Amino acid sequence: MSDPVPLTTDHPGQVASATPPAPGRSRRLGDRGLAVAFISPAMLLLLAMSVFPLLWALYLSFTDYSATRGGPANFIGFGNYTAILTSAQVHTRALTTLIYVVGAVGLQTVLGFGIAYLISRRTHGRGVLTTLFLVPMMLSPVVVGLFWRFMLDAQFGVVNSMLGSLGLGQVEWLTRQRTALLSLIVVDTWQWTPFIMLIALAGLTAVPKYLYEAASIDRASEWFRFRTITLPLVWPLLLIAVLFRAIEAFRLFDLVYILTNGGPGVSTETLSFHIYKVAFLGFNTGTASAYGILMVLVVIVLTQLYLRYLNKLKEG
Amino acid sequence: MAVSVDEAVSTGPARDHTPPARRLGGRGRSVLEVALLTVLAVVMLFPVLWMIETSIKENRDVYAIPAKFFDFKVTLDHYKDVFVAPDGGRSALSVSFLNSVVVAGASTVLATVLGVPAAWAYSRFAVKAKKDQLFFILSTRFMPPVVVVVPIFLMYRQVGLIDNKLGLILIYTAFNVPFTIWMMKGFVDEVPAEYEDAAMLDGYTRLQAFRRFTLPLLVPGIAATAVFALIFSWNEFVFATFLTSSDSVRTAPPAIAGLIGGTTTDWGLVAAASVVFALPVLVFAYLVRKHLIAGVTLGAVRR
Amino acid sequence: MRHPRRIGRVSASGRKVRLATAAMLLVATTVTACGDGKDDDAKASAPKAPATIPELTKDPLTLSFIWFDWPPAKALEAFANAEYKKERSNATIKVNTVPNANWHDAMFTQFAARKTDFDIAILDSQHIGEAVTNGNILDLTDFVKNNIDVAAYNPYLLAAYGQFPQAETGKRDENASLYGLPLLGDTWTMIYRKDLIGDKPPQTWDQMISAAEKCQADNPGVSGLAFHQANGSDAAAVTYNTVNGVYGGNLWDSKTRKIDGVINDAAGQEAMDVLVNKMKPLTAKGSGNWFIDEVNAAVAQGKACIAFNWIAASGGLLDPKQSTLGTTREQILDKLGFATLPSQKTNLVPLGGMGMHVSAYSATANQTEALNFMKWFERADIQKKWAAAGGVPSRTDALESPEFLNAGPFNQVYTDSVPRMRDMWNVPEYARLVNIENTNVNAALNGAKKPKDALDDIAKEQQGVLDSSGRKGGGGL
Repeated sequence: MSDPVPLTTDHPGQVASATPPAPGRSRRLGDRGLAVAFISPAMLLLLAMSVFPLLWALYLSFTDYSATRGGPANFIGFGNYTAILTSAQVHTRALTTLIYVVGAVGLQTVLGFGIAYLISRRTHGRGVLTTLFLVPMMLSPVVVGLFWRFMLDAQFGVVNSMLGSLGLGQVEWLTRQRTALLSLIVVDTWQWTPFIMLIALAGLTAVPKYLYEAASIDRASEWFRFRTITLPLVWPLLLIAVLFRAIEAFRLFDLVYILTNGGPGVSTETLSFHIYKVAFLGFNTGTASAYGILMVLVVIVLTQLYLRYLNKLKEG
Repeated sequence: MAVSVDEAVSTGPARDHTPPARRLGGRGRSVLEVALLTVLAVVMLFPVLWMIETSIKENRDVYAIPAKFFDFKVTLDHYKDVFVAPDGGRSALSVSFLNSVVVAGASTVLATVLGVPAAWAYSRFAVKAKKDQLFFILSTRFMPPVVVVVPIFLMYRQVGLIDNKLGLILIYTAFNVPFTIWMMKGFVDEVPAEYEDAAMLDGYTRLQAFRRFTLPLLVPGIAATAVFALIFSWNEFVFATFLTSSDSVRTAPPAIAGLIGGTTTDWGLVAAASVVFALPVLVFAYLVRKHLIAGVTLGAVRR
Repeated sequence: MRHPRRIGRVSASGRKVRLATAAMLLVATTVTACGDGKDDDAKASAPKAPATIPELTKDPLTLSFIWFDWPPAKALEAFANAEYKKERSNATIKVNTVPNANWHDAMFTQFAARKTDFDIAILDSQHIGEAVTNGNILDLTDFVKNNIDVAAYNPYLLAAYGQFPQAETGKRDENASLYGLPLLGDTWTMIYRKDLIGDKPPQTWDQMISAAEKCQADNPGVSGLAFHQANGSDAAAVTYNTVNGVYGGNLWDSKTRKIDGVINDAAGQEAMDVLVNKMKPLTAKGSGNWFIDEVNAAVAQGKACIAFNWIAASGGLLDPKQSTLGTTREQILDKLGFATLPSQKTNLVPLGGMGMHVSAYSATANQTEALNFMKWFERADIQKKWAAAGGVPSRTDALESPEFLNAGPFNQVYTDSVPRMRDMWNVPEYARLVNIENTNVNAALNGAKKPKDALDDIAKEQQGVLDSSGRKGGGGL
């Protein structure tokens, strides 16, 4: 049946002969055996739970298979792919996702870096401040989504209540096209600004002191010091953080599911949310698989950027 | 070396606020910065405070307009409702919390057992295409859950793992193993291989050297890694929603999400359940604060 | 890296190995998936339940249901364990509940898994087509013939919760197959503030709108109307369908499977216009994502003059603990009235509620017990007891019994509504049809689409779903 484990013994985790620290053939074999024994269980699990499902999805993406209707899976070539790529509905979701990713990641980068910069200039209370700022990031998206939905409720929500106290009118946060997408971006920003902040802070505190001292002797302007000393040193780390967030934001599902359910209409449906509907409302498994594979391709591109940058960072 | 919050306080290198303070308006600027930070901190923390407040309000105060910030009657009924069903038995929510403990716990243990030896092997041995393998391992972590859930569903239905805790444990393990390997490899790299070499010269086998000399040094790192794995599985929602359907298997995130959408929504209960659910994570996160950066970047960034 | 001398080189052979692995996996996948296909072929149509109930087991047995989380689910479990146990002491009833939003997905993913943790699925009437076509539930035709007194029911109630292909509104085709029996009847009730608009409920839709308008103007802070507008479940779709029915529209022509040109005909356009341009302005700001619980909250908080909700979900309104309208049930009832929906061009009301359907994948002993339970449940005396326990029965005698009519202030509304009911399509494509309608009506209600465009999009997209069976690729988009 489908148990993939026996098929995958020929995994890539083969081990080359190491240059061993001690002589003796038996030990060398021991090392190799040890490496195989230690690496292969993890590799097998990943092959079974990540690679195999993905290959299965790849196969199904060329068929009209449905998980509930049964019947054989008929090959239909690239039918699903052309249908998805030419579908106006998909284009709408792609645009929504793009706006969301750019908006949310952009906003949290600016805010996160700003907060980190402000914190890094403090001498006292940095630890407490950092810890407090990190709380939102640790919460489950379910908790975040539910609670913001409650707070943004137009009638009973505390946000509108406070706006009312300030003499401002009620805002329909979750039921207007523009504000609903904005609300998603705001909530995501609330949760993930701490992530950028944390990483930016690591970069900022690592800037060697003597550089600033040299600059202050030169009476360089604050902006000049920021631009020529701080930013170049923090930039690589910040970029990593941004890429990481972009990947995560691109696959966003849970927040949409809970906060707006894609509404009003379909105006906050992201690509992930649309895949869910294709996969579970009509059980169009073939189409959903192709849709998913296309999304994975985008993620792979983003991941490659991420990994390449990481690599550079490690070597540098 | 991982940057820690504590270190940021005590040994942060750049103290450049003294020169500007001497300048005209330097003090004013400092005050402005503190004020800005305070405002930002209040904004970031307000939702959490509001959640805690809602959880101890009576339901009729929950809906009050204008919102009541201070003058409300405190009640702990919602917390009782989280754990106790109206008929006095165990509530469905408390069962789901228990399920979360089992699923998150077991998957963390599994990921640790599988990931730590692999991380050690990657750190110590020359493995063919090591970099490729490591990057491949990390990239499996980036797959969109909604995409993976469809084939996983098909696979699980063949082997009867749908609506089964083992099914959730396996998929969470698979998502945590890449993280564990990357995170742990950093820790292993920090332990000099010479310790093992020396032990082997004394007649220990490689495995014994690992067990007796390296492993004890890795324990703090393993603990930190495990805590992060625990947090990931604890908070996970997508797989939990689509792969479970019965009360006896459902974990807390879908159970909490299920509190809305009945015929009446008890927001006090939602808030109390959220607080109870978030508390362990915050405690754990505080415990591993030294490794937060490595933790949240899947072990990829460590300074 | 600390130990450069040990680092191996990135070699091409690693990639080759990986490619070979990938190829092997792909082959394995194909084989598995084809094997899967054969499994499915064998069960292409619904298996038949026995005409007479076979011998029941004497061993302890748990009969499991699946429903969504709401008060009737708890009522059913308590009622069945108290009453059914009297006849079958070895049986225990368990009603598994899922969140309403997950209800369809939770049942059909288990059906898709060919393994269910429930014996009786409580399907929405519109889910029948999907379940029957996939062979997920038992064909009860012969069982019903031998065990159920069909004359005791309004024929449409039997048809709505059991028949496939779907019956014409108000009728039952006696030659068609039955796949389920009624569990809980339901329809919308109009909830109105007697203290604000008077004791007499409005009789026509127009009167209802002007009463709401006047009430809203007279009572600052209270909205004229509250109804379902959310884009999840079937919320906004039922709202539009109700107005569509009242204004003489049709959802489709079931014989020719035509939607485009039917739902968006003149009557359909008028209904959409009434909903968006006359009713929506009378609702609270930001009510565009409201469903059952939000409408209830608005009524209980005294924020709505007239509201529409499912009867089975209205019990909570009488609970003083959740209401600001009074400190006792009587005080609340002084202010709240429950009435059948106003009529306009027709007097149609939406059919809600659910039936019991036997999972094709549960064990034979459990299926047998399920059939026995259903036969027991549809008995005249049990139907009355179910009514007294807070349920909504389906047998005519039970609907007209004092046990039912005195059990709740809205029960008379249900009995009066039974001959006026209309359902949606119960075709296998239901989930997608309702999603199209939900999202478009929700978009129109929230200004994301013009009402006419939304209606035309519904017609076009739904027609596309019905016509897409032969299309190659992209199904579900």
